[in-house]
Amino acid sequence: MSEQSAANSAAPGRGSRGGGARICILDYGVGNVRSVEKALEHIGAVATITRDPAEVRAADGVILPGVGAFPRAMERVRELGLDELIVERRDAGVPILGICLGLQLLFDSTTELGGAAGLGLLPGGVEELEADGLKVPHIGWSPVRWEKESALTDGIASETPFYLVHSFAPHPDAEDLLGTAAYGARFACAAQCDNVFGVQFHPEKSSAAGLRLLANFAGVCARTPTAA
Amino acid sequence: MILYPAIDIRGGCAVRLTQGDYDRETVYDADPAEAARRWGSEGAQFLHVVDLDGAKDGEPRNLRQIERIATAVPCPIQVGGGLRNSRAVREVLDAGAERVVIGTAALRDPEFLAAMLEAHGDRVVVSVDARDGKVALQGWTEATGRDVADTVIELSERGVVRFLCTEIDVDGTMDGPALDELARIGAAAPSSQIIASGGVGDLSDLQHLADLAQAHNNIEGAIVGRALYEQRFTVSEANAALRG
Repeated sequence: MSEQSAANSAAPGRGSRGGGARICILDYGVGNVRSVEKALEHIGAVATITRDPAEVRAADGVILPGVGAFPRAMERVRELGLDELIVERRDAGVPILGICLGLQLLFDSTTELGGAAGLGLLPGGVEELEADGLKVPHIGWSPVRWEKESALTDGIASETPFYLVHSFAPHPDAEDLLGTAAYGARFACAAQCDNVFGVQFHPEKSSAAGLRLLANFAGVCARTPTAA
Repeated sequence: MILYPAIDIRGGCAVRLTQGDYDRETVYDADPAEAARRWGSEGAQFLHVVDLDGAKDGEPRNLRQIERIATAVPCPIQVGGGLRNSRAVREVLDAGAERVVIGTAALRDPEFLAAMLEAHGDRVVVSVDARDGKVALQGWTEATGRDVADTVIELSERGVVRFLCTEIDVDGTMDGPALDELARIGAAAPSSQIIASGGVGDLSDLQHLADLAQAHNNIEGAIVGRALYEQRFTVSEANAALRG
C-alpha cells in the first residue's frame, strides 16, 4: 500500500495509512460529531467539522455523519445546500463516507416517518430492520461479514465486531453490498459504489477495527487524484 | 462477555474506592480521560464511568469530564452516578454517553424509571448493589432487606433489560467476584442481561466469570477497575480471558 502522507503533512502522520489526509466532517447540526473528529485526528488525518463550501472543496475526503430521523436530517442537508455540494464532490471523484444515518441519507429514499427522498448516491431504499421479533432499535456490538473486497475494509478480518445503534437499514444493490451483520435477520451495514462509501455502524466507537477502517478511508482520500 | 474498564471520577480525578467507602480512596490518574485513552487504545469495547461526586450529591458533578472521556475513546461509554431526574439523564446522554446507569432512583422512584425506559429504552441500565444478597441504596450506606434476585426480576417485569450487579463487600478488594451470587441472579432472571461488578483481581477471576457465562449466557459483561489500574493484566488480556 502506498503511503502519501508526505504529500500534505501539516499534521504528524503517526505512520498511519491516511496520515495527513484532509477530511471534512459535514456539520448540519445533527448529532455529536466530535468523537468522529477525535478518531480521525488519532489516525493522523486532518479533520475539520464544517459546512463551508470552500473548506469542503479543499478537502481530500468528506464524511457525512448523522443520528436521529432521516426526513428531518435530509431537510436540514437541503436547507444548507449540502446536498448539491456532496453530489459535486462525488462527481469530482472525492471519496465520501456516510456514517450511521449519514449512510442512509446516501441512498434513494427511506420509509421512515412516512418516507423521504435521500441523496441518491447509492441505489436502493432504507427500511425498518426486520429483526425477526427482536427489540428495535438494535444497539450493541455485532460481527460484520465483508461481502466483497474494498480498500475501506483492508486488513480488517471478516466477522470483526462493530458498534451499531439503529432502527433502519439500507437495501443496496447486490454489487454495492460491502458488509452485513445479523440481528434476528441479516441486514446490510456497509455499502460502496465507486468513491461513495457508507457504514451503518459507528467506526469512531468500534475500537481498533473502527480506527483501521477510518485510516483506510483516509488512505483512499490521500491517494485519490481529484478534479478541481 | 464484554469487559467494562471502570473509571470512577471524584474531584476531577480517576479514583477507586474500597467497598464503596469514600474514606478509603486511591487516586490513580489526575485526568480520567488519560485512563480512558489508555483502556481505549488497548482495545476496550465499552467503558463504565461513575461520577462519584454526583452519586454523593444526587446530581451530575463531572459532566465536562464525561464529555471529554466520551470524545477521547473509540468505544461507547456508560455513565452512572447521581442520575435521579430526567434532566440529569439528558445531560449525561448529551455529554456523549451511550447508556445511563440508574441506581437508587430506579428503586425509589418508579415513575422516574418508567419515564426513562419510555424515553431511552435499552440505553437504561439499572444498578443493583448488594451486601449478603440484600439490596443497598444511597451510595451503599442504606440496607433495604430486599433480595437482589427478586429485585432484578421485579424491575425486569417493569421493562429493564440490563442490570449492573455489584457485590459491595468484594468491590475494590480484588479478592475475586461473588460467583455464587452472580450464578443465583443469572439463573433467577434468565431474560435479563447482567453485568458483573466487584472483586476482579486477576485473569483467573475473569476466566471464572467466562465459565459462569457459559452456564448463564445472560451474564454479558464484567466491570474491572483496580486490577487494570494496578496493571495486573491488560485490557487485551482481559478481553481474551472473557472470550473463554
